Amino acid sequence: MRLRALPAPVWLLTPWAVVYGAFFVFPFVFSFVLGFLDYNPLNVANTRFVGLDHAARLFTDPAFHGALRNTLLFVLGTVPLTTALALVLAWCLRGPMPLKGVLKAAMFLPSILSIVVIALLFKLVYAPGGALNEALATVGIPGHGWLTDPRTALPAIMAMDVWAAVGYYALVLHAAFTSIPESLYEAADLEGAGAWATFRHVTFPMLKPAIGFVLVINAIRSFQVFVEVLVMTQGGPLGSTNTMVMYLYETAFSRLDYGYASVIAYAVFILSGIFSIFALRRFRSETGSRGVVA
Amino acid sequence: MIARCIRVFLLGLLVATQLSCGKKAADEGPVVRFWQFWDVATIQPLVDEFMRQNPGVRVEVEQLTWKSGLEKIQAAVASGTQPDLCELGSTWLPRFSYEGVLEDLTPVYETERDNFLMWESAIWKGRVYGLPWVQGSRVLFINRDLFRRAGLNPDQPPRTWPELLEASRKVSGLGDGVYGFGQNIGERYVLFKKYMAFAWGNGGEVLDSTGAVVLNSAANVEALEYYLTLAPFSLQEKQEVLDQYFKTGRLGMQISGAWNLKNYALEAPGLDYTVALVPRPAENRGTHASFAGAEMLVVFKGSKQRDAALKLALFLQSYGPARTLSLAEKSVFPAARAAMNDSTFTSDPRVRVFVEQSLTSRTPPPHPGWNEIEDVIDRAVEEAMYGRRAPRWCLDDAARQVAEITARFERS
Repeated sequence: MRLRALPAPVWLLTPWAVVYGAFFVFPFVFSFVLGFLDYNPLNVANTRFVGLDHAARLFTDPAFHGALRNTLLFVLGTVPLTTALALVLAWCLRGPMPLKGVLKAAMFLPSILSIVVIALLFKLVYAPGGALNEALATVGIPGHGWLTDPRTALPAIMAMDVWAAVGYYALVLHAAFTSIPESLYEAADLEGAGAWATFRHVTFPMLKPAIGFVLVINAIRSFQVFVEVLVMTQGGPLGSTNTMVMYLYETAFSRLDYGYASVIAYAVFILSGIFSIFALRRFRSETGSRGVVA
Repeated sequence: MIARCIRVFLLGLLVATQLSCGKKAADEGPVVRFWQFWDVATIQPLVDEFMRQNPGVRVEVEQLTWKSGLEKIQAAVASGTQPDLCELGSTWLPRFSYEGVLEDLTPVYETERDNFLMWESAIWKGRVYGLPWVQGSRVLFINRDLFRRAGLNPDQPPRTWPELLEASRKVSGLGDGVYGFGQNIGERYVLFKKYMAFAWGNGGEVLDSTGAVVLNSAANVEALEYYLTLAPFSLQEKQEVLDQYFKTGRLGMQISGAWNLKNYALEAPGLDYTVALVPRPAENRGTHASFAGAEMLVVFKGSKQRDAALKLALFLQSYGPARTLSLAEKSVFPAARAAMNDSTFTSDPRVRVFVEQSLTSRTPPPHPGWNEIEDVIDRAVEEAMYGRRAPRWCLDDAARQVAEITARFERS
């Protein structure tokens, strides 16, 4: 009877809350707890409290340092480049042009493909007789083992990631472009602002929230880069593509060191959070409630 | 207390999926839950035959995938919902043996040891925890056409290291994008298998009989140095690329497994190739060693259907069912020695080589830290192949790391 008295929103939200609790909140809390335990799923009875031992290991583990370096390289190499390219593409899309709809659909296409499919396709592209080497051969450049050379394996995955992500973010920024009031451009024109000044003082400030969104979402995704690595290189060669989540996966499921893996997961979470806060603050809206540039 | 809480949580997560099966089982009598990695369409007839021979015993077969199977088994053990009988790869088994979650099958070993190969990975601290079911060795694949073009006799494949080197050099000399030999690089869980074939053949080991690390032994260093001499005539790539080159007639030789017999028949029916034992150091020295992967059957400790599960394991391991599985899958062979005298396997010249190779093939040393050890060896071989350091240094460093891993398991 008392249950029936509950308001409708509670009932409506319950299925979502149950799923969210079971698959997001519970693992989040459980993982936090595991970070303080020496936990092995094959020997749960011997689980013991180790305090901050796992966290301390982060500072002395060279494999983690390598994974951290690779992840940061991946984030710093892909996120700004993807955002800049997306901005350029969005800028190109702002005016009327033939086949604009087809172009936008084509740009969005990689977003609906599974990353596994994309990674498998790019494995073929990067293969010795693959499309990239064949294309280079036509201009006399010798082929290269893109995924077997430690110097090029990570950049090759980064290039694929930029290709896969740029279209989606370009459309996000394109939507932001279209929401900029035309009156602002007219005012800038009346003031005699040139193209650069208009971009700097009108377009960019108005796009800042959208750019912030793109940076945060892309950075979170990039800090968690895993499937691409698993499919294309499994962290090799010589650990040159071993990222934090790849290392986490190996630590948990191959070495059964779930406690340490949980700490690595939280390291990924904290790094993503720091980057997100920085990006959001840097790119927070500069417009007032009436859309006027402050 | 912590362990109990964790177990209750995990049990709660799995209970929904297990509830229906459990209820059904309770309604219809004892059920043996069998988790395995083969196509159910292949396994089910074998299980049906077992049930026909054992009225009153029912078997529920579940197929695992190689991608996620290990994680699923781990989660099941953690939550106490493990199957009664399970298939485990020979590189996984030692960790399960070490953790004490498997039934001790030493009494079975004592009566069956001479009838089967590949027991090594099932032995931990003198006790036996798994039954070898099927196995697959790696052999030397040879493109006969390229051999002929290079002035080599494909009916006399290289039997020694110098002969392999010379054949690689000659085939590579054909030019036009043709390579003599295929060496894996840039991928995990493969380099070890290729390099250790030469190391084992040269009398090398990873761990000696006392468990001491001997990875940087003179025999292993010599094998790695030899392996590097093949590099100038080799295509160094991932396995799928090596396979592609071999299928398209651009690779003279590579070391690979029996699944290629099936694949080449389907994907390159015109390919003229043969197979041979992995070469030994010299005619009067070493062995034709190679890597073998074995599929093991284990019974989980605490199984309520222990006896029925063991009975099913013994049935599946026996020659008839293992032979049926091998013939259906065409990528593995029975672990039973009876396969050595079965004309089905020995009448085909290519298949006969695999059977012969299995007599001198090895599974990885049975150590619970094997996954980590394999990573270290892969890395050492890769570093040597990339020319980062001399083979001796690579193996010295790897031996030190392996010693740290083994020490950690001794302590815990």
